[in-house]
Amino acid sequence: MESIISTFHIDWKIIIAQAINFGVVFTVLYLYALKPLSKLMSERSEKIGRGIDDAKINAELLEKTRKEYEDVISKAKTEANKIFQDSKKEALAEKAQMLEGAKNEVTTVIENGKKMLEAEKVKMLEETKKEIVNLAMLATEKLISTKIDKSFNDKTVKDLNNL
Amino acid sequence: MSTQAQTETQLITENINEAPKAVKEEISQEITLFAEPIVHIKNLTITNSLLTSWFAVFIIIIISLILRSKLRAVPGKFQSVFEMVVEGALGMCDQVTNDRALSVKIFPLAISAFFFILVSNWLGIMPLGGFGIVEEGKHGLLFVPFLRGATADINTTIALAVMAVIGANVFGVVSIGVWKTLNKYVNLEVIGDIFKEFRKNPSIIIVSPIKFFVGLIEIVGEFAKVASLSFRLFGNVFAGEVLLASMAALMAYIVPIPFLFLEILVGVVQALIFSILLVVYFTIGASDHDEHHEEHHEVNKIHEENRHGKEEDRLIKEAIEEIA
Repeated sequence: MESIISTFHIDWKIIIAQAINFGVVFTVLYLYALKPLSKLMSERSEKIGRGIDDAKINAELLEKTRKEYEDVISKAKTEANKIFQDSKKEALAEKAQMLEGAKNEVTTVIENGKKMLEAEKVKMLEETKKEIVNLAMLATEKLISTKIDKSFNDKTVKDLNNL
Repeated sequence: MSTQAQTETQLITENINEAPKAVKEEISQEITLFAEPIVHIKNLTITNSLLTSWFAVFIIIIISLILRSKLRAVPGKFQSVFEMVVEGALGMCDQVTNDRALSVKIFPLAISAFFFILVSNWLGIMPLGGFGIVEEGKHGLLFVPFLRGATADINTTIALAVMAVIGANVFGVVSIGVWKTLNKYVNLEVIGDIFKEFRKNPSIIIVSPIKFFVGLIEIVGEFAKVASLSFRLFGNVFAGEVLLASMAALMAYIVPIPFLFLEILVGVVQALIFSILLVVYFTIGASDHDEHHEEHHEVNKIHEENRHGKEEDRLIKEAIEEIA
């Protein structure tokens, strides 16, 4: 042991000095480098982890929203289609109804026209008759004023009655 | 260096300067197993390896302070490199401990040892070794460099090894308790087991003394750890310095360059080996022997139960056959 100590110049004072040196290195490295760095790295890891979780949640939310959007669009399309079809049917029905109404109206108008024409005809005939009667009266008056006898008178009355 | 030697050196230097016609002594450099003294301050001898060690401490402090001032959430180049080293080293610790919590506890000490040894090793091979003092030796004037690798001095490696081994045991006491740590070396539990389990298992009277003796061997093992750690590191780094000096003596300018690169690598490897061994010792210190012991008991119990089960099966079969 003595020979080892003398050969290698083992000195307990230097051993302690070197131990103190290592102690200083450990303290400084731990306090000024490793501890803050570890804290920073763990904080960053937490942030990244939280970011990944948030991204997952956001992706799920986005997917859900997209599905909802697609559902809404699909429903809207179906509803719009249905409304369009209903409107088309309604329009067609209304069109048919209007046509029917127009036809009826036209028929009524024609009927009324016919009736009016008939009435007009009757009226005209009445008026014509009256006119003829008046003319006949006038002619008769004229004849009477000239020469009237019994036979002529009967004949005239007979003719007038035959009219 | 003693005061007498200093005076002699001064006298010789004066003689050389004042009498140019006198026979000039050639200055030589010796490669010694021990670190050469530079200054004596009272009882403390400041050796060149101690100087290098202080220089290494100073460099590490500066690097730590720079790192501390440049720490940002978004890392710069310097911080990124350091983070990469820390992550890698922590990963290596995990491979040894298999437990992240344990790794985190041991890691600061291991990485401190790594950096201290690495910087010391590299400072030893730096060309700054050209600066030094000339003093009177046994065979004429001797050049003593200011810098010698701190780990090329056995005192440094002994200090580190002793701290590692004591630290491992203290860590063991903190982790698993005084009683269990003590029982690793002076296994009083197995002596107690002789009285407890002698009736059940008579062979324990042979096994327990052996276990007790193995515990005592562990004490020797702890000293062996100190010796192996310190001499391995010292031997490798010192051999490297000798190699470089020899190559430089052969041809001063080009031949040592490849060996210089080799020594840079050796410096890293030796620092790494020491740190990993430190982690291994700390992990062993924190491991509980009883857990293995209990596992062994459990396995024996299961075997015993299986054996009993087979015995029962055999008896049932025999009974059935008899009835038949």
